[in-house]
Amino acid sequence: MNKALKNPLVFTLFVLPALFLFLMFFVYPIFSSIYYSLTSWNGVSDTVKYTGLTNFKKALGDERFWISAKNNGWFIIFSCFVQVPLIVLFSLLIANVKKLKGLYKTAVFMPAIMSTAVIGILWGFIYEPNIGLINKIIGLFGVDPIYWLSDERFAMLSILITNAWQWTGFYIVMVLAAILSIPGELDEAAKIDGATGVQRALRITLPLIMPIISIVIMLSIAGAMKAADIVIVMTKGGPAGSTEVMATYMIKYAITNFKYGYGNAIAVLIFMFTLVVTAFYQLVIARRNERIEY
Amino acid sequence: MKKSLTMLLSLIFVTSALMTGCGGNNNNKTTNAGEATNAPDATNAAATEEPVSSEPFEMTIRHTQVGADKQKRLAILEDVVGKVQGEVPGLTFKLDGVDSDVNRKEKLRGEMAAGNPPEIFDLFGSPDSKIYAKESKLLDLTPILEELGIKDKFSNLDPFTYEGKIYGLPIGGSGEGFFYNKGYYTEKGWKAPTTFAELEQQLADIKADGKVPLAGASKAGWVPLMLANHLWSRYAGPDVTAKFPTGEAKWSDANVVKGFSKYKEWIDKGYFKKGELGFEYAEYTTQFTSGEAILMYDGTWKSSVFKAGQSGEGMIGKVGFFNIPPVEGGVGDQTALMRDVNNGYGFSASVADDERQLAAVKSFIKNLFNEEMQLRGLVEDGVLPAMKIDQAKLNSSITDDLMSEIVAVLNSSQSSFPAFDSLVQADVTTEISNIQIQSLIGGQTTPEKMGAALQKVQEEANAAVE
Amino acid sequence: MLRNLKKSLPHVVLLSYLLVILFPFLFVLFSSVKKDNNEIALNPFGIPKEFVFNNYVEAWVNAKISTYFFNSLYISIFASVVTILLGAMFAFAVTRMRQGKWNGILFSLVLIGMLIPNNALMLPIYTIVRKLGILNTHWALIIPYIANAIPFTIIILAAFMRSLPREIEEAAVMDGLKAQGIFARIIVPLTIPAMVTVFIVNFLGNWNEFLLANYFLSNDELRTLPVGMVQFRDQYQMNYAQMSAGIVYSVVPVIIIYAILQEKIIEGVTAGGVKG
Repeated sequence: MNKALKNPLVFTLFVLPALFLFLMFFVYPIFSSIYYSLTSWNGVSDTVKYTGLTNFKKALGDERFWISAKNNGWFIIFSCFVQVPLIVLFSLLIANVKKLKGLYKTAVFMPAIMSTAVIGILWGFIYEPNIGLINKIIGLFGVDPIYWLSDERFAMLSILITNAWQWTGFYIVMVLAAILSIPGELDEAAKIDGATGVQRALRITLPLIMPIISIVIMLSIAGAMKAADIVIVMTKGGPAGSTEVMATYMIKYAITNFKYGYGNAIAVLIFMFTLVVTAFYQLVIARRNERIEY
Repeated sequence: MKKSLTMLLSLIFVTSALMTGCGGNNNNKTTNAGEATNAPDATNAAATEEPVSSEPFEMTIRHTQVGADKQKRLAILEDVVGKVQGEVPGLTFKLDGVDSDVNRKEKLRGEMAAGNPPEIFDLFGSPDSKIYAKESKLLDLTPILEELGIKDKFSNLDPFTYEGKIYGLPIGGSGEGFFYNKGYYTEKGWKAPTTFAELEQQLADIKADGKVPLAGASKAGWVPLMLANHLWSRYAGPDVTAKFPTGEAKWSDANVVKGFSKYKEWIDKGYFKKGELGFEYAEYTTQFTSGEAILMYDGTWKSSVFKAGQSGEGMIGKVGFFNIPPVEGGVGDQTALMRDVNNGYGFSASVADDERQLAAVKSFIKNLFNEEMQLRGLVEDGVLPAMKIDQAKLNSSITDDLMSEIVAVLNSSQSSFPAFDSLVQADVTTEISNIQIQSLIGGQTTPEKMGAALQKVQEEANAAVE
Repeated sequence: MLRNLKKSLPHVVLLSYLLVILFPFLFVLFSSVKKDNNEIALNPFGIPKEFVFNNYVEAWVNAKISTYFFNSLYISIFASVVTILLGAMFAFAVTRMRQGKWNGILFSLVLIGMLIPNNALMLPIYTIVRKLGILNTHWALIIPYIANAIPFTIIILAAFMRSLPREIEEAAVMDGLKAQGIFARIIVPLTIPAMVTVFIVNFLGNWNEFLLANYFLSNDELRTLPVGMVQFRDQYQMNYAQMSAGIVYSVVPVIIIYAILQEKIIEGVTAGGVKG
């Protein structure tokens, strides 16, 4: 039909710059990681020695690696079982109030636009044992100060709470948008049938927003696998490595311990874990949701 | 419109062509980077700037003199910078301050891997400088030292020596021991303890008095490890740490574990500031200067805090220093002091390619490593000289009580040993400082388990062939 | 009575959540005008009796906020604009130009990019940046930032461009415009709303990025705001009042921008989330 839009040269010119960057910063790094994960390169030396799967064996046999993988798991569990119910509850509440809707939406979203680093600093202050906000509050009830970030029992929890504080509002706004886009007639019809507010929320709204909740969970998983900056800023992986996540473990080995090859093996493992978790979720859970819904 | 689109496209092409030249010539990269000055990129700098002229050129000094407590040291460095800039026409130094631990463990390691360290940088002697030297990342200083005639002036260059060549220069030495609150001690009618039992009694009494016996700030593992290191060396011998990498001794040996156990005992008795795992090193000093903690185990460099205008100003004349007293049944010299000449300056190997930079480095060494600056470091900043200095001169320049007490402690110790992190491999250092010592403090491990875990990492590191 | 309670219960719950969100900010704001740690400890919740603004002066000097702020600002804007330009070209080509199966292949390839956890690629990206010889310059952040945002940008813009009717460019072709002309004169102006959305998302992502900025730059005057703030915190940790002033400096500009562009930002970021 029109030649102008079929010109392969122009097509190439349009595609090339973005494609080039994509290949350079997404595709090449994957292969590079795989390559170095099979070596014992220290990151400084000119010689690179091939060592096969040694790095992987070492990682999978290292208790520290599993602790960090488990902490990524905590991020996932915390968001699915604590954050998601809260998100749904708050979204339903906001959707059903008449006044102040705008204020709620604007305010809860605010932490999501801020730098994780700054939020980490801010919460570090809130958790401060002697003058921090939380201990001052629990102190009013006569509870002894808790050493949030320096006590192995609380450090990970403290990070999870901060993370939830930052992102819950973001997801609320997403879910809220989905709720508000549900046609009003459905709700009206149920109302006429005499359904209570709670019944309507559970029977009508909730099933209809299942797809968006599914997306929220997917995003939380993706976020959990990437988590690193909040840990670096708040605890540097401590105390005693108890809050280390896979990404910080990788950085520690690759840079601090002169084990670039080993660090890349961890990168490859992060990759594989992400694929497995995502695939698992898609196949087992997301599918079932769809069936219920349609 | 059409014209501008062509322009746009060609611009994109230029950009992508620039990036395709991966590793190629990227000299124009800073031109649009605004204030991105890109000084440390020495290899490119050499290409873009004409050598041998008085045209302005820039070099970066990475120092670790950041924060309020290190102002004196920064002032010394700044004076040297001024002198060197006066001697080398066209030279401008850029000072880049980074926290010491961050520089050592992350920044410099990353830059070394990247091949673009700053021209002059704060360098750890052993094992860091040897790893870099092995990969030819460091400038061989031997000819410069010979030319300046100061090669034999240093008391110990071993940490910076690799295969007979010198790759770095220690800025000063340090010893580690207890700083104690003299005001409190006098009030109680106490003296610095001479036996271990006496020390432990004092700790218990301070605790009973409702004060914190020992400052604690263990967010960074090396801080509690100073004391722990000294303790295990008391019990298992000053030379024990050096034997770990050779396999002659084990972390799990009974005497080493005894050292861990003593540390653990003090933790359990609540002698350290509560919540210590959450505090940064900066907090350590504050606990002591505020009078909250009565004792603080730290390096002699800390004495600079107790000078006019510094954060410990209020305690001038009220601070003393003592070595850990002998422990019962301890192996080896019980007066041995933990001493290091491990911290100093190194220079990028790329400096050798540029005559003007080399001249600047020579001038820097000449102006920083001399008797005058060493004495200034001692007097103003409490850093022990790394160079041999006439004893009479030394004595006459020490005026404050704390410094003379420190010197007395140094003189009364019959031998010394370096801190563990200059003796064992990087993995072992990471394991003990990031995991084990914090686990011990947090109560997640026992001294025995700690020894076993460390030994495992030690053996892996010993077996690894680089 | 019961009815009233029922009506106000949601507000009680929501307002307490609001308090949880906002109180930390207030706590920092109040702390920033208190004299020292001691005063924060004695009166943690309230407004101080005496306002101390010296913290702001000190924090400005010690934390070099202005330097970090402008670094972040120009890096974020520049990288976001370039991403949009490159992304729009790519999206235009794969959605509006007819190259048979290539359209689909290229688009799917980029889609996969969305699944890659990019933190895991930090080490190889570090190597690339170093081979390019741009480590420790702002390019070390700008180029990876541009690249990182490309998959997302393409997906959103492509979805938008697909929804534009075919007839538009048919008319344009009649007028004798070439592909470049159609892109620049027809598609781009029509895509502006989607571009604004994408710009906001990319900008915030770059503005807040910490990992690369922390490891790829070492000179103090090159640092971006998040890294600069963390460094400031590490050095002045014992002085919480001053640190709070630093936090206020770094948070206020974002809040102002948010207040102005609130609707756009919420729309953009959540769209980003859904599509991602």
